[in-house]
Amino acid sequence: MAHDHTTDGTVDGAHDETTEETPNMHDTHDAHDDTAEETRDTDGETTDGDQTRPQGLNLLGSPKSGVNRDETSRSRRRFLAAAGSAATVGLAGCAGLGTQESGASGQVAFSDFRGSGRLVRSRPEIDAPRIADLPDLSGELTVYLGGGEGGLYRSLMELFERIYDDFTAVPSAGGTAEQANKLLTEQENTPADVFWSVDAGSLSVVADEGLTTALSSEAVADVPSEFRPDNQWVGTAGRARAVPYNTDQVSADEIPDSVMDFPDSPAVASGFGWAPTYGAFQAFVTAMRLLEGDSATREWLGQMQSTATEYPDEFLTSNAVADGEIAAGFANHYYALRVRDARPDAPLDLAFTRGGAGALINVAGAALLEPSDQTELAETFVRHLLSAEAQEFFATRTFGYPTVEGVPPVGGLPGIGELDPPSLNLSRLSDLEPTLELMRDVGVL
Amino acid sequence: MAGDGGEPASGPGRLARLRSLLREGEEGEPSVAVGLLAAAVSAAVLSPVVWLFLRAAEVGLAEAVSLVTAGNTFTVLTNSVALVAVVTGASVALGVPLAVLTVQTDLPFRRFWTVAVALPLVVPSYVGAFAFVSAFGPRGVLSGVLAPLGVSVPTVYGFGGAALVLTSFVYPYVFLTTRASLLSFDTTQLEAARTLDTGYWAAFERVVLPQIAPGVTAGALLVALYTLSDFGTPAIMHFDTFTRTIFVELNTFARSNATLLSLQLLGVTAVILALESRVGPGEADGYGASSSTDTVVELGYWAIPATLLLAAVVIVTLGLPVGILGLWLVRSGPGYAAGGLGFEWQFGLNSAVVAAAAAVVTTLAAVPVAYYSGRTSSWLGSLIERPTYVGYAMPGVVLGLALVFFGTRYVPGLYQTLPLLIFAYVVRFLPQAIGATRSSVLGVDRALVGAARTLGESPRRAFRRVTLPLIAPGLVAGAALVFLTTMKELPATLILQPAGFNTLVTYIWRVQEAGYYGQAALPALVLVVISSVSMLVILRGEDTDL
Repeated sequence: MAHDHTTDGTVDGAHDETTEETPNMHDTHDAHDDTAEETRDTDGETTDGDQTRPQGLNLLGSPKSGVNRDETSRSRRRFLAAAGSAATVGLAGCAGLGTQESGASGQVAFSDFRGSGRLVRSRPEIDAPRIADLPDLSGELTVYLGGGEGGLYRSLMELFERIYDDFTAVPSAGGTAEQANKLLTEQENTPADVFWSVDAGSLSVVADEGLTTALSSEAVADVPSEFRPDNQWVGTAGRARAVPYNTDQVSADEIPDSVMDFPDSPAVASGFGWAPTYGAFQAFVTAMRLLEGDSATREWLGQMQSTATEYPDEFLTSNAVADGEIAAGFANHYYALRVRDARPDAPLDLAFTRGGAGALINVAGAALLEPSDQTELAETFVRHLLSAEAQEFFATRTFGYPTVEGVPPVGGLPGIGELDPPSLNLSRLSDLEPTLELMRDVGVL
Repeated sequence: MAGDGGEPASGPGRLARLRSLLREGEEGEPSVAVGLLAAAVSAAVLSPVVWLFLRAAEVGLAEAVSLVTAGNTFTVLTNSVALVAVVTGASVALGVPLAVLTVQTDLPFRRFWTVAVALPLVVPSYVGAFAFVSAFGPRGVLSGVLAPLGVSVPTVYGFGGAALVLTSFVYPYVFLTTRASLLSFDTTQLEAARTLDTGYWAAFERVVLPQIAPGVTAGALLVALYTLSDFGTPAIMHFDTFTRTIFVELNTFARSNATLLSLQLLGVTAVILALESRVGPGEADGYGASSSTDTVVELGYWAIPATLLLAAVVIVTLGLPVGILGLWLVRSGPGYAAGGLGFEWQFGLNSAVVAAAAAVVTTLAAVPVAYYSGRTSSWLGSLIERPTYVGYAMPGVVLGLALVFFGTRYVPGLYQTLPLLIFAYVVRFLPQAIGATRSSVLGVDRALVGAARTLGESPRRAFRRVTLPLIAPGLVAGAALVFLTTMKELPATLILQPAGFNTLVTYIWRVQEAGYYGQAALPALVLVVISSVSMLVILRGEDTDL
């Protein structure tokens, strides 16, 4: 299922990674309940995002005392400070978006976009264009959704529909690669106006085929240029490769700064987890191949393989770290946040490596499709995805990294500008085949 | 012989006519018009293969050769062939005895067992595979129970797991076709053999087996080709078959490589079809024997182990997946009414309507093909019937892309509309309808048709008044089979669904993709319930006692 789709679903080997909850077969902790639950602020106060907070304050309390605040050790900081101080958000009195009666059109508050949950206590000021500042959406727009948007992308589009009476978004969903292949096969006959996919590789392939139209510089000005190659598509939310570690077993200092040093690290020797069949992990190995070369990657995989425990996906990897089953692992950053959101006392924290493949940031993004005769509406729609409200939506509901610089991530994580990703054109990540061959060769897949 | 308009037979011509009719009763050749119709259907469902050749032609020869001869390709081929062989063998080993037990013995609660043993067919393989993984997988339910006892569970991933899961959910094909053969088997023959002091086993071997062989083979063929085309199970079980590799290639946007692999898969399909032709149904006429479930074997004490066997099979293949779904249903947190993830009953209605339409169209398309190939002994019949199995063996995702290609270019008005989606289902599931209908056609006593013609009926009216009522049960069974496989079809559905149109499976895909397993439980159970109803139709059509 899931996966793949595959086909027949796709929770498998090569399934698309999503910016949403991962397959959680065993569902031991219902970690998704809080994040997916559309709750209203339980204190009844309608926050409209304008309440001022000192910038950079850790949302879960202040950073641990005694932590050196200089740049080099930032990656070692305990980003996920204990949430014990935060009041638990009860599920009682929740009102889902779908059931919440809104007033007249346009009566959608900023808080409607904001998620809830332990990690979303209060948010600093958001410095980004508001929906009110954008042109209106009007008409019918066909959106090809790539990847398991988990219904959240649909929810966002429904919010837009509530704001604009005469706007309708018609989504058509499938796996990221599936949708890209579909667009490549349809060519100029595609009925779609926008391709919104959770994976940069699929967007690049469609752009390389000449099926996209450049977005205007004005529309995408607030997004760092590495997340909008030639403006052929623009990143809407990011996900960073991270190292979830068990604080009872490993100290932050033991996590190497470079992912290439992991095989010789004591943290690894005491038990390490990964999910080789998971798309995000395969993208990371692809990045390593491109940055370090095939033989170094082969050697690294071989060394890691001797101690690594395999998990079906990265949510379960992060969960196993929290359980103490393994000391550390490789996962996208938001899985640990999700585990922590459900289990505030879990001895789990995140480390970020610097500069190499282990510091990769991948993005979900949107592209205007060239064959569409509604380019203007499509671009206005993409601008809505970059609005303060939508960026807040991605940050607080999916724990993704906002790509608009004025919107900070949750959980006291370093801002997207403070991370140190490798300089690698994300579209090159679609060169997955040699990666899979190499992984099979080593016996990891 | 070409069908005529059926001019009223006058006195002098009648004798000559009767003579020619008697000959026709022996030959029974269907008309050219039926043949053309059958050929047209066959050609239509073959059209997606053209796309494969178009795409494959884009690959350079050197590249193609290196891909075909790559070490991995050989592994994939042997993996696929081994999986097909094991799953087919296991399904026959399981399906035939279960059919005999439920048809020919005095087993207690026969009707209940008949339904329960057939039902696993309605469980989508991706749901079944997940159930197995969450039960037997690492950190699954079973290992959670056994771990404290120091018992470790062997890995569910790989060849063994894939074979086990597939067998669990496809053996009913063999069970159903064997059962149908046994029901139309004339038990008087068996009794005759028994009076000659042969034991049941010897009689079974010498009398029953030859009679039901075509039925068993038809089921085995469906199992073999389903195994070849199924993507969900090998994907979830991490086992590299053609389908999984094709999916990986498509994930890297290497559509040309994917099509080369698909062509290899079709090569394997051709081999399987050729093998099946060697042992295929003979041209035996039916005797018009009424279906019989008379007890021919009294089990005595053997009823106990037989019942235990049935119970074990039903628990593993039906109890387990439904139980896991129930667990998901109970375990899931409060349902969220978030747009996009809320379940709507409309999805169930959409699924049922599309599946019903697919069943009707597929059955209509199957009639000329089944009638022509069942009524002609010429090689032409096989030439027309065999290719219809190709779409069934094609991975859904490849078929979907082929229809995207043709749809957008040649019938843009139909692209992403229900008619094109239904056409995809026809291409995928036509063999199931043809198989069921053809065996009914073979079972029609041609003397009856001849009698009708003698009485001055035109071929068309003879067909309507004699043949059609006799083959109706086969048509209904075929339609029901198509209905339930359409209900659970995912990959082609996902690619070709009209924008904004959701069915149970696309909704299941969506929530599973997002990891909300609890949300998938309700639609999956609804799917199983609706499909179970169609399964009852199949069984009732064969056995009026049910």
